[in-house]
Amino acid sequence: MSTKGVYTALSGAMAQSLKLDTIANNIANVNTPAFKRDQQVFNEYLSANEKSPTVIQVPRVPASVESFYDMQGGDKSFVDAKGTFTDFSQGSLKRTGNPLDVAINGKGFFEVATPQGVRLTRSGNFTLDGNGRLVTKEGHPVLSASGDSAADPSTRSIQISGGAPVTISDSGEVLEGNENRGKLSIINVEKPDSLQKMGHQLYGFKSNVNAEITNMPNATVQGGHLEMSNINVVKEMTDMIQTHRVFESTQKAISAYDSMSDKLVNVVGKTGL
Amino acid sequence: MIKSLNTAATGMAAQQNNMDVIANNIANVSTNGFKKSRAEFEDLLYHTEKEPGTATGANSYSPNGVQTGLGVKTAAVQKDFDSGSAVISKNPLDMMIEGSGFFQILTPDGQLAYTRDGSFRKDATGKIVDKNGNILQPEITLPPNVKGIEISNAGEVRVIQGLSDVPAPIGQIDIANFVNPAGLRAMGKNLFMQTPSSGQPVVSRPGLNGTGALAQGQLEASNVNIVDEMVNMITAQRAYETNSKVIQTADQMLQSTNNMR
Repeated sequence: MSTKGVYTALSGAMAQSLKLDTIANNIANVNTPAFKRDQQVFNEYLSANEKSPTVIQVPRVPASVESFYDMQGGDKSFVDAKGTFTDFSQGSLKRTGNPLDVAINGKGFFEVATPQGVRLTRSGNFTLDGNGRLVTKEGHPVLSASGDSAADPSTRSIQISGGAPVTISDSGEVLEGNENRGKLSIINVEKPDSLQKMGHQLYGFKSNVNAEITNMPNATVQGGHLEMSNINVVKEMTDMIQTHRVFESTQKAISAYDSMSDKLVNVVGKTGL
Repeated sequence: MIKSLNTAATGMAAQQNNMDVIANNIANVSTNGFKKSRAEFEDLLYHTEKEPGTATGANSYSPNGVQTGLGVKTAAVQKDFDSGSAVISKNPLDMMIEGSGFFQILTPDGQLAYTRDGSFRKDATGKIVDKNGNILQPEITLPPNVKGIEISNAGEVRVIQGLSDVPAPIGQIDIANFVNPAGLRAMGKNLFMQTPSSGQPVVSRPGLNGTGALAQGQLEASNVNIVDEMVNMITAQRAYETNSKVIQTADQMLQSTNNMR
């Protein structure tokens, strides 16, 4: 008797546990501005066939007692985490009244210069540092669209002198009184799948994937507003209940294998004597 | 153990922090010159289980890695320096800055502090002081037997001593402005201190260099909007509850694991 199936059930339990981790992170970030929900996707992973594919009979013989032995282990598969997908749909906008809060309408990302290079973000809760530069909450300068994109990114920061109230126009221009201090750089990523979350509300690029970046000079933003997270708590709670129950079911399967092994060892063994 | 236990705990801690900030805002709804704060969150680092872009065969790469986030943290508590509404007090030493800027105050330890609370009074020697007796800078001493005090929009202080006198100037109130007022450190007692992130103070006449003009006989009320705070409190409480449900679920999953045998 084979008890390999217990590992199939185990892979299911581990997958559900991973899914709960993702749901927990979504729920923990329900009030994080412009947070985008993650989704864990699983696929079937065939376990190693017991014989090499060349030896396996093709076409297979019709189903019969004999053909049962011809499955060569291909009937057993495991669940494997395939990938984490981020749902980039728009979150709702919330009015804050803070003139340096800005939300992007529709697609696009702000560019931010970090010590590790240029990163993207949608979280527009900007502030000023002591030198009057427009920065993120981590103190990284927000970049303007003007200037040479090949040059040192920090030369594209937006400087405010503090003499007049600052407002951000619908086209992303940072205005101090009537003076234009630069236009926020908003870029579009044609393949959002090429983005990787880096924490601190920043996105970096994955290696090996062409991101297809384009500038969006006509993007519209909303000053005095923040984009909320796109987490739907009802959906997350439902997913959580489902994850919990599937996890329990896989454990029932493990218990079933356990009791089968118990019978095999203690009952079948006894009748044999 | 299951990561989600800790992830949900960071969520609860963040909402607790949010609630603390909201509680302080609501507590100061009637504090003159109070500026409301807002807790802001950001996601923590991601745990990468499978690198994105790993080869899955000849010329094919997995487009997505497997990443699980590890929770949330409070990135900043942001002060909102929106003006509060004006309250007419008719007290001649009450002042409001109509726009940006701060009154400068000398604290007992000899440092300059900054405040938006313009309810001043005179002490026994006639100096203009705040509620706690800290002297307004630049120092102004009112002469005895003052019949009337006039403070102009530009901060000039004039007094009338005799009934037929022309108001005589005795001092000038200058106000300080910062590039990034949100970077000031709140010291309690309505006072703020300068920090590296606020920038250096720029002292000027009220009404010049982007500062607001002074209005005598008025006080600036707190800029807390009680409706906003109530809505924020509801969302904070519900988000806290949802996070605790995640902990319960993770706990039940561990429990059922333990019950397998």
